[in-house]
Amino acid sequence: MEKKFEEFPGVSWTPCPEQFITIEEKLCTGCAACIMVCLADCFEIKNKKAKVKSLEKCMECSSCWYICPADAIQFSFPSGGTGFKTQYG
Amino acid sequence: MAKNFDVIVIGAGFGGPVAAKICVDAGYRTLLIERAEKPGEKVISGLTIPFYGFLFGPEFIVNGNPPIERPADGIINYIILDIEKETIEIDDSLKIPKPFSPIIAFGYNTYCQPFCEWETDIAIKSGVTFLNATTVVDIIKEDGFVKGVETDKGEKFYSKILIDAEGSQGLLAIKAGVREKYPPEMISLADTYDYIISKKLLDNIFGYTVSFCWGWDEEKIAPPLGYGNGLMLWPYRESIHFIQDQCLVLENNKIPNLKKNFQTYHKNITSKLPFWKNNVAPYAKLRAKMFQGFEIFVGLKKNLRNMPNYTDGMLLIGDAAGLESTELCDGVPSAWFSAEIAAKVAISAIEANDFSASFLSIYDMQIKDHPIIQWSISGRNRHDLRFAQKSHDKEELKKYVHNGWGLGALTHFSTPLIQMIVKILREHPEIVKRWIKMYFRYFQNYLYNDYGTKISKYRYNQIRKNRNSKNEVLFRCFLIFIDLIMKIIVTFYKMFKRLIPSVEFINPFVKRILPQFEPLFIKLINLLEPLLNLLSKKIIKFTQYANPYLFS
Repeated sequence: MEKKFEEFPGVSWTPCPEQFITIEEKLCTGCAACIMVCLADCFEIKNKKAKVKSLEKCMECSSCWYICPADAIQFSFPSGGTGFKTQYG
Repeated sequence: MAKNFDVIVIGAGFGGPVAAKICVDAGYRTLLIERAEKPGEKVISGLTIPFYGFLFGPEFIVNGNPPIERPADGIINYIILDIEKETIEIDDSLKIPKPFSPIIAFGYNTYCQPFCEWETDIAIKSGVTFLNATTVVDIIKEDGFVKGVETDKGEKFYSKILIDAEGSQGLLAIKAGVREKYPPEMISLADTYDYIISKKLLDNIFGYTVSFCWGWDEEKIAPPLGYGNGLMLWPYRESIHFIQDQCLVLENNKIPNLKKNFQTYHKNITSKLPFWKNNVAPYAKLRAKMFQGFEIFVGLKKNLRNMPNYTDGMLLIGDAAGLESTELCDGVPSAWFSAEIAAKVAISAIEANDFSASFLSIYDMQIKDHPIIQWSISGRNRHDLRFAQKSHDKEELKKYVHNGWGLGALTHFSTPLIQMIVKILREHPEIVKRWIKMYFRYFQNYLYNDYGTKISKYRYNQIRKNRNSKNEVLFRCFLIFIDLIMKIIVTFYKMFKRLIPSVEFINPFVKRILPQFEPLFIKLINLLEPLLNLLSKKIIKFTQYANPYLFS
C-alpha cells in the first residue's frame, strides 16, 4: 500500500481514498499561484483552470490553500492513517 | 470504546500529550486523538528545543529522559557578503563557555517523531485513551458550546471541554468560528533535508554548535533576503538537519516559484559555501527530503496576535493558538507552556462546571501574563533582520544577527528569563537541583543514545566498569549545597520582597553594559581556554561513567 518516491527519500505515503484538496472551478481564476508554491507537483492548469493533478506526493503543508487569492481551494487533512509520514522530521 | 470524556485533546504533537497527561492525572477521563498512525510522523521541523522549554516546561519532561539527538551549545552565524569571493563574516558570540558546555546546553536538537511518541507513551501510561489514525473532521456544537468532535470514520466523541492542538492551520478552530485563516505572507514553507554523516566528522566540523547562514539576495544561498529565514543547520547524533525556508508571498505581492528557488539555493549551498563544499558534501549522504509550512511573524500583527484562543467549551494551544515564536522560529516551548496552562484551566472549568468563554478567558490572561511566551511571540529581531538584508545595510544586518542569534539576545531576553526564574523559584526552590540533574541526565542520554526509563545493558556495563564513587559522593554534596543556597536565597527574597525592585530594568541594563562586557568576556574565555577544556573533559568523563540513578 505504501508508496515512495525517489525525489523525496525518507518519506512514504499511504494513499488517501478521498481527494482531500479540492478546487472550486467557478472561483478559480487560473492564476497558477498554487502551482508556484507546491513542491509536490499536485496541480496543473487545464483550460485556464487549476486542477488537482495528483496528491500522491502531497505533504499536507496547505500552502495552496493559503496562497489561493480567489479562495477556490478547500483544504482538509487526509483521513486517519493515510497521507505522508516520515521519522526524520 | 467510550464516547463520553471529560476532556478531548486533538493532536499528539508536542503540546497535545502534555495537556492530556495533566488532565488524566487530575482524575478526568481524557481522549487524545491523532490523525497519524504514529505520533509525530507528520511533524517536520528542523529543531533545537530551547533550554527554557525544558526548564519551565512540563514536569514529566524536566524529570524525564526524552529522545534527544545532540545538545546545542552555541550558534555560528555566517554572514555571506559575497559567495563567489568567499567573503563571509562570522558572528559566533552566542556560545555557552566550557566547562558548562556541553552539559549545560542552550537547547537540544531532536527529531520530532520519537519525541512526540515518547510524550504520547507517557500520557497513555498515565491513563489517557489514545486514538491514532483518526482525523477529526468537525466540531460538534450545542447551544453555541463546543461539545465534542466528529471523526473521519463518522464516530462522535463528546467531552466537557475540548483542547485543540491541531497545529498552525487551525482548520477546526476556523470551523468552530474561533480563528481565521492566516494571510499567505504569514506563512513560510520550510524545505528540509536530513543527511547521514559520521559522528566523528560531526564532532569535528560542528561539535555542538548550530550553524545559520544569512546573506544578500543575489548570493542565492539563503532564500531571497527579507523573505525567509536563511539557512539553518543542526548537527544531530549521526546526521545533519538542514532547513531553508521562504515566505509564500514576496513583498511586492509576487508569488515566488518555490520549487525552482529552493533548488537554486540548495545547489549553491552545497557547491559554493566553503565549509559545506569542503567538509560536509564529500562525506554526507542524503537520507530524507521533506517540506512543511509554518506561521511566521503572527505575533507582530496586532489583529492576528489578538485572535481569540478560546471559545465556549474549547481552548487552543501551541501553533493552533498562533504561539509559534516570532523571535526564534520555534513553537515547542510555547506549545508546552500553553498546554500546561490550558489543562489547568480545563480542570478548574470542570470543577466549577463552567465551560463558558467568560470562565475560560482566564486562559488568555495567563498566556498574556507568561513572560517567555510573550517575549517569544513579540520579539522583532528576526523580522528586522529581514529588512536589514533587503536594504543591503551590512551594519544593520550584523546588528540584528547579533541581537537575534548572537549574545545580543541577552539585551531582550534577560528580563523575561529572570522573571520566569523568580516566578518558579518562589514556589519551588528545589527546582534548581532538578535542573542540574536534568542537564546531566540528558547528556548521559546523548552519550549512550539511551532515552526513556530503562538503562541499556551496554550503558550499564560501561558505567559499572568505570564508576568513580568518590566523585558521585561529591556530586551529591554539591546538589545538597545548591539546594540549601537556593532555599536561603528564596527565604531572603520572601522576607525582603518589598525592597527588591522589579526585574524590568535588566534588559536596558544589559543593553548598556554588554558592549563593554562582551570583549572582556571573550578575552577571558580565550585566556582560560586550556584550563576550561581540561575541566570540561573531567566533567564529561564523570557524566559518562556516573551511576544513572544519580541523575534521576
